[in-house]
Amino acid sequence: MFLINDIIALLVSNLILTQALGTSTLFIAAGSRKKLIGTAAVITVFTTSGSAAAYFINSLLGSRYSDLTLLFYTIAIGILYVGLLTLLYYISRNAFEKYRKYIHVSAYNCAVMGTLFTIEQNASLSAEAFTLKSYLLSGFEAGIGFVIAALILAAAFGKLNSSKVPSSFRGFPAMLVYLGIISMAVYSLR
Amino acid sequence: MDKPKNTLTSGLLADNTVLSACMVISPVIMCGDTLQNAFALIYAFSAITFLSVMLSSFVPRSLPYTVRIIIYAVIASAVYIPVKLLAQEFYPESIERIGIYYPLIAVNSLIVHQTEVRFFRMKRLNMAGSLIFYILGFDAVMLITGFVRELLAYGTINGSMADMDFLISGLSKPFGGFIFLGLFCGIYRKIRSAAVRQKNEAGSEANVPD
Amino acid sequence: MLKKQKKERLIWIDVTITLLALEIMAYFYYGIRALAVGVLCIAVSLAAELISLRLRSRKFTADDLSCTSDALITALMMPASIELGIPAAACVFAVTAAKNVFGGRRNMIFSPAAAAYLFILTSWEKELLLYPKVYDKIGILDTASELVSSASYTFNTTGTMEAADFELLLGSFPGPMGAVSILLLLVAAVVLIFRKDISAGAFAGTMFGTIFMAYLCPAAENPLDSVKYVLAANMTLFAAIYIISDRRIAPGKNYYAFFYGLFIAITSYIVTLTTGKENVIVIMSVLFTPLSLMLKSLENKIERTRFAETTSVSDSVKQEGAENCG
Repeated sequence: MFLINDIIALLVSNLILTQALGTSTLFIAAGSRKKLIGTAAVITVFTTSGSAAAYFINSLLGSRYSDLTLLFYTIAIGILYVGLLTLLYYISRNAFEKYRKYIHVSAYNCAVMGTLFTIEQNASLSAEAFTLKSYLLSGFEAGIGFVIAALILAAAFGKLNSSKVPSSFRGFPAMLVYLGIISMAVYSLR
Repeated sequence: MDKPKNTLTSGLLADNTVLSACMVISPVIMCGDTLQNAFALIYAFSAITFLSVMLSSFVPRSLPYTVRIIIYAVIASAVYIPVKLLAQEFYPESIERIGIYYPLIAVNSLIVHQTEVRFFRMKRLNMAGSLIFYILGFDAVMLITGFVRELLAYGTINGSMADMDFLISGLSKPFGGFIFLGLFCGIYRKIRSAAVRQKNEAGSEANVPD
Repeated sequence: MLKKQKKERLIWIDVTITLLALEIMAYFYYGIRALAVGVLCIAVSLAAELISLRLRSRKFTADDLSCTSDALITALMMPASIELGIPAAACVFAVTAAKNVFGGRRNMIFSPAAAAYLFILTSWEKELLLYPKVYDKIGILDTASELVSSASYTFNTTGTMEAADFELLLGSFPGPMGAVSILLLLVAAVVLIFRKDISAGAFAGTMFGTIFMAYLCPAAENPLDSVKYVLAANMTLFAAIYIISDRRIAPGKNYYAFFYGLFIAITSYIVTLTTGKENVIVIMSVLFTPLSLMLKSLENKIERTRFAETTSVSDSVKQEGAENCG
């Protein structure tokens, strides 16, 4: 019972379905199910580790230098980007060749940056949310939210790209309408 | 003679940032519910994208791809600061309205990923022209989306009451944005394919000897 | 192919007959306005379907009449007092955005009626969830004298229903105009299952899940009352028959369809219990669409593997036979 409630809560706070964050990335990655899952996994790594970095940046900058937040977030994500690529390179050359494209697509996009800014916004509203643990949890939750959205889109991927769909709506427009109707259902649960 | 002209202006219609290339969707869906939001986003997007891409074009191409991408993103984040400060001076309410989508514009795919594929292969002057059309393409979509959604969801045009009896408030919500953009994109594709077909037919008719 | 087409038309006729029975019941309770909403929905859906098909350069066939049964399902989930523009807009949305954008009846993803319901719920919640009193006959252009909350709302928030058992069976309590006549709905379910017009597996799964949860974690004072009220309230039975068990949406094999229905029922019950929201089952039927699509693709994969295995076995048998002959 609690698990179902948690899943519903995760859906209701899903950044793609409620804030459209990372939709472009989802569509770019929607070439195949494998791509979708790969991108979703890398984005989870970025949102989780990025949120830890965001915590330290927010602690250092405070509200006085908030205009610099984006610049520092960008630098932090850049460091993570290089770090992740280097790590993958040393773990396995084969894996590096296979998975680096997911890292390139996932590093700078609305899903990752949007997550960091949403977490920052929530933390500015409640002091309880301004802890490293809370940042990390929120980052991980956002990543899982992306995975859920990716699975929801992957389930209909074949149908949305089928030749039965009118050519003008095939692919991207049909995906948008599909996500819109799912998002409408999520919205009605609020 | 036609080809370079098409390349330069293709960002407006044929290769529209939002409708064809499905980039920068989130701000259109989330903030494109009123004309006022649309204007604020148009200002932010146009200023940040134009300045960032122009400045990024000076980054040496001999650097590794990852480093170049990071530099583009850092340049855009730096450009964001004066753009935001200017907006704070002239349209302070716009920043609050757009919220987190303001900084997100700085890391849009047009600046970070598409610069290499689209713009940096051109000469600088051509690039500036093409970039302006890409930006205008986004601006047009944003304006149409803002206008239609505001009219149907709130019954107003740029904040002034319009005579609308029947309102669909869901259109102002994120799901309304998803569905509207999906339908808009499909209709745009339909019109474009019909226009291309008509043009081809006219061309083939013209080629038929008497 | 011809047989399949014929079947689709027969399903439409059967479903429409049961829906018309519910519409007549609604007329009996709410007067001419109930009929007007139904007729309006059918007319608008038909027009939208015709235009959509024309834009897609397709011909209108008898199979495309299924849009009218979807329209009736949508109409029956609404209060008789609803402003007429709202169901009309919902039907246009259902036929165009929720159906024809994805390729129409040959590539169905969502139940059009469920999508239409959500469309209204998210834009006109008040108009949708306030109902006229039973026997408050409303003229076509009139408004209801008084609007009240539904019996489902009372049950979700207090755990009791003021209606007697007989009233529950006949649907004589405030609620959607055609989705509360329990006796008629039970008859419709039996008829449609025996005629194989709806997915028996999905229906059984939904019923089992709802009854199981209502008995295990009762929402009323005692488990039996809980089962009774849960089946009567929140359009459970109506959604189980016309939305969840819709053959176009539910997985094909009864085994998979059972689990699809079961998950929807369990989740809906828990969400209703914890949030007190009305008619959650309709929302869940849309949210569980990806699950149905996944199960359908799993079915196809298994079938393909089985076919490949059968083909390879028969090939090897033939080869062995040829060798023996040789």
